[in-house]
Amino acid sequence: MSTSTTATDVVAPEGAATPAAALAAQTRGLRKLYGRTVAVDHVDLDVPEGAVLGMLGPNGSGKTTTIRMLLGLVRPTAGTVSLLGHAVPEHAGHALPDVGALVEGPGFHPFLSGRENLLRMAAAEPRLATGDIPHAVGEALERVGLAAAANRRYRGYSLGMKQRLGLAGALLVPRRMVVLDEPTNGLDPAGTREVRTIISELHAAGVTVLVSSHLLAEVEATCTHVAVLHAGSVVAQGELAELLESGSPALLVSTTDGTAAMEALRASRIPSRLAPEGVRVDLTACTPPEVIAALVHAGVDVHEARRARTGLEDLFARLTQEPDEEDGS
Amino acid sequence: MTDATTTLAPAPVARRSHATLGRLVRAELRWIYRRPRTLVVLGLLAAIPVIVGIALTFVGSAGPGGGGGDGASLLATAAGNALVLPIATLAMALNLLLPLSAAMSGSDALAGETAHGTLRGWLLAPVSRGRLLLVKSLGVATFALSAVLVMAATGVLTGFVLNGTDGLVTLSGSTLSLPAALLKVAIAAGWVALQLWAIGAVALAISAWTEHPMVVLASVLGGVIVFSVLQLLDALEWLHPFLLNDSWLALGDVLRDPMPTGGLAEGALRAACYIVIALSIAYAKLSTKDG
Repeated sequence: MSTSTTATDVVAPEGAATPAAALAAQTRGLRKLYGRTVAVDHVDLDVPEGAVLGMLGPNGSGKTTTIRMLLGLVRPTAGTVSLLGHAVPEHAGHALPDVGALVEGPGFHPFLSGRENLLRMAAAEPRLATGDIPHAVGEALERVGLAAAANRRYRGYSLGMKQRLGLAGALLVPRRMVVLDEPTNGLDPAGTREVRTIISELHAAGVTVLVSSHLLAEVEATCTHVAVLHAGSVVAQGELAELLESGSPALLVSTTDGTAAMEALRASRIPSRLAPEGVRVDLTACTPPEVIAALVHAGVDVHEARRARTGLEDLFARLTQEPDEEDGS
Repeated sequence: MTDATTTLAPAPVARRSHATLGRLVRAELRWIYRRPRTLVVLGLLAAIPVIVGIALTFVGSAGPGGGGGDGASLLATAAGNALVLPIATLAMALNLLLPLSAAMSGSDALAGETAHGTLRGWLLAPVSRGRLLLVKSLGVATFALSAVLVMAATGVLTGFVLNGTDGLVTLSGSTLSLPAALLKVAIAAGWVALQLWAIGAVALAISAWTEHPMVVLASVLGGVIVFSVLQLLDALEWLHPFLLNDSWLALGDVLRDPMPTGGLAEGALRAACYIVIALSIAYAKLSTKDG
């Protein structure tokens, strides 16, 4: 998506790895034990200011636990958290007014209407003057497309409407940072698009967004940065564009005679291996035209040649599956 | 999804780090009294003095079967006496129904909110754990007070309707003026409210430890029943001063003239101790609890 890629250049030119970049949130050596179960371990997460950081990970990889520690809801067993420059949970009270969050699904009272629920939530918002509360609530409802259902009881809301109300709660006040845990859970495609729009609006306004998800396409479309969690630790993080390029580029060539193709390429000193419908050629040391030329000169019939897609999905699969299959280091 | 820019524009906002206490308490009370359950309980409690009053007047002065003890004799006196009826029904309800409603309020306050995931919303706002407990305590206390006041009010009204304002006779045989009688009802109501606050505080303490409201209800109710049983065992006399219900029978003292204050004062002091200890436990748990 064009908005996110151009924004990357503008907002975080240093990248997440550079300590000089201003960080909205940072964790160091974060560890949480529930009884003897290790939920999260060695989590060093950097959330650059102004970034849209997508937190990816399979179910049970520690995304929500990390977020809960980041927001001071849960006390870490070890490690430190800094949120908007304040130590958490010790001084969470100074950081949280500027942070909007939707954690672990929407939590509301079934016997109150959507509006009443938000009014109750807004009463606790330090940044809202008492007189502004009804207006802020109305605006938040409008923003998530719930204005028409605002006076219906929460009990009767659909899953998607509940999720929207939770989102409205996070957007009650202009924030410096917004944390969204699985924001598109239960939303229809239109709702998902609207969440994307909201995220890019927040991003355009300079708000740091931390969004956890297991929907890769969603993260790829909205995020400037990515952190991948696996089995309770961060296995990769950085700018989305950089991470996607980190995989070795490859060309998939369809041919009826894979062995002949491999021999032809070996003669040209181009590394390749057999793939289901032909060969997979490593492009680190050569270009696609060279590969095709070598094959054609050797008389190998080339039906089709295309770049191997190094999408987020491949990256994710590589990061979260390799440790199990190989040595696990 | 419209009108995004206005919301996003960094508005000049007050740099407060917490919402005012008054606003939180108002929101809490609004939540409590908008809850259908609250209104149903208050309505049922309001009906008790009416039912008791009518039953005593028209069915005859025989107390509820068996019973025995001071409560039953109080009820027998309540027939034809607008002063005794509200206080006798309060004394009766204090044994089970009023503790049950206080426990319900306490269980909703923390465990119920945790179960709904709504407590997190306030913790993230943020509301500090100490302020949260303060607001919740005030909410439970207000509900308990309103339960007692509703019962006292319908008791007084029922008594007046059935018997008129004459015959406000105390247990000592003296006749009181209307204001003096109302003062006695108010004293009884205040004392019962204090006992309920103690129960509410215990309920809040348990509520801080669990996310299941039923656990709170069951524990408090079980506690009330166990305390009543222990109270009957003379062999455990040494334990009785520690039981909250040890002085609940002293409520009848309000109806004497002059009013003996020893038992009432002891009961008030005991309730205060319960409140302090229970709220300390609740705070200790709440301040370290995972949100």
